[in-house]
Amino acid sequence: MANESVRSDITGKVWKVLHAIGDTVEEEEPILIIESMKMEIPVLAPCAGRLTKLLVAEGDDVAEGQEVGVVES
Amino acid sequence: MAFEDYISEHERQTQRVLAMGGAERVARHRSTDRLDARQRIDYLFDPETFVEIGRFARSERREDWDKTPADGKVTGYGRIDGRETAVVSHDITVKSASSSPINVRKMGHIRRTAQANGMPLVLFNESSGARIPDTMGAIGTGTLGQDPQQFVRIRDIPYASAVLGPAFGTACWFTQLSDFVVMRKDAQLAISSPKVTSIAINQDIDPMELAGWKMQSEVTGKVDYGVDTDEEAIDLVKRFLSYLPGHHGEAPPRTQAPAGSDDASASLLDLVPESRSRVYDVRKVVAAICDKGSVMPLKDRFAKTAYTALARIDGRVVGILASNPLYKAGALDPDSCDKSIAFLVLCDSFNIPIVLLVDTPGFLIGVEGERRRAPGKVINFMTALQLCTVPKFSIVMRKSYGQAYLNMGGTRNSDEMLAWYTADVGFMDPNVGVNVVHGVRHEEDPERFAKLVSEIRRDSSAYDLAGIFAAQAVLDPRESRTWLKRLLEVHQRRPQKAIGKHLLGNWPTTY
Repeated sequence: MANESVRSDITGKVWKVLHAIGDTVEEEEPILIIESMKMEIPVLAPCAGRLTKLLVAEGDDVAEGQEVGVVES
Repeated sequence: MAFEDYISEHERQTQRVLAMGGAERVARHRSTDRLDARQRIDYLFDPETFVEIGRFARSERREDWDKTPADGKVTGYGRIDGRETAVVSHDITVKSASSSPINVRKMGHIRRTAQANGMPLVLFNESSGARIPDTMGAIGTGTLGQDPQQFVRIRDIPYASAVLGPAFGTACWFTQLSDFVVMRKDAQLAISSPKVTSIAINQDIDPMELAGWKMQSEVTGKVDYGVDTDEEAIDLVKRFLSYLPGHHGEAPPRTQAPAGSDDASASLLDLVPESRSRVYDVRKVVAAICDKGSVMPLKDRFAKTAYTALARIDGRVVGILASNPLYKAGALDPDSCDKSIAFLVLCDSFNIPIVLLVDTPGFLIGVEGERRRAPGKVINFMTALQLCTVPKFSIVMRKSYGQAYLNMGGTRNSDEMLAWYTADVGFMDPNVGVNVVHGVRHEEDPERFAKLVSEIRRDSSAYDLAGIFAAQAVLDPRESRTWLKRLLEVHQRRPQKAIGKHLLGNWPTTY
């Protein structure tokens, strides 16, 4: 088992959180949506597994590369 | 029997070489769920087509004559689907497949023969690097470099590499020289081994961080695919080569489009959201336009805002370069410039027409981008695009703004420029433009902001682009495949017999 960071690839604001801690996710499944450049940009799971940490909430600002969660594969 | 002694000695010598590093070492290697160097060749080539060149080569050090069958690199020629191909297969059971003056001589011979006869070169890379003590001291080191063309790449033939174990030194260099790289997930690729590196810089090193497949596919972008088995790796090498000509003087092989390849076009309106603020995965658009099952992505885990893939349309090989709104809204960053350039180089070198699919808000600007030399990369990308002499077709799907419009084939930077009726072309995103031009923010005065956005957006449609003949046609997205099929028939470069000038053939190998 390995822990992989979920990172935002763009600076913006968390618009929607689509998963809760404990959820099972597939690789590249959207975990939350960032609003940036007037676009809704998903943050995707880096691998299939279970979401064990969620480090942001709706309305939070996030920076490019910031860790927003952890998936245990 | 006449020549009995010769025959029996020849048989003894042959069996000695075919035993590679000996039963024990071969068994140990196989126990890691790997094929050995000769099994890899058998898996690669059509049955009974392999001829081995340099079977009886051995170390030049007399004390190692019996310990160095084929001197640790098995080389020769065979056929893949009937086409002549050259191979270098490192034999890790013989002195860790380390590089010596003799086996480097063998590699040079194979490379020159492949170039002279227009044959792709396949490399199964697994080596500890330079052989010690052979290359120690002035005499050892001075015997290297006898082949000044060894590390010169002019892309007259395709190179495809599979990294199947530790690959350091020459095995790493040839991987860098390759057009395509697949790597086992338990292999390592670096200048030197983690052990040597750790000693040299006096630091503990995580081997996977230094040399692992994720680093090489997600950070450096050198590796196209990570796989679990040798067979998967070799299958991918064969698949990659199936898109390429044997050499740069011929067109890529054409196949028959599978039945039903036209069916997916109807789904294009469902794949691309009408709302401009919603993103989508351009990979689904590419799959819907190209022949069924024909898309082979390259560097898929690296710089994901640019999607690059070899594919077929109506059986003709094309290179797809697309911005992918799913990542960073399709904004192109320094890594995606590098990835795009590498792909243009491949297509230009091997006569592969390029299809650009565009939905990008532009180049990602910012301090980090400038620190990473974004301006230079943008303009290298532009230069590379213009030096391509293969046919280029650009389709603007939705947004195409600013310099990125030109980099993605805008106006005369492609042979034919098409725009979906959803296209939106301008110097920058209208929402940003209002702020820059008028100094008005949405939150300060929403009503005036909306009015100014609508003014700036005016004259930015597909019809405006076609009105000045910057676009040659306005399409329903579902017509894309039909248009590309016809344009590929028209743009055959008949006077040049579909062969480009390969101005990018000696563009730097990596970045």
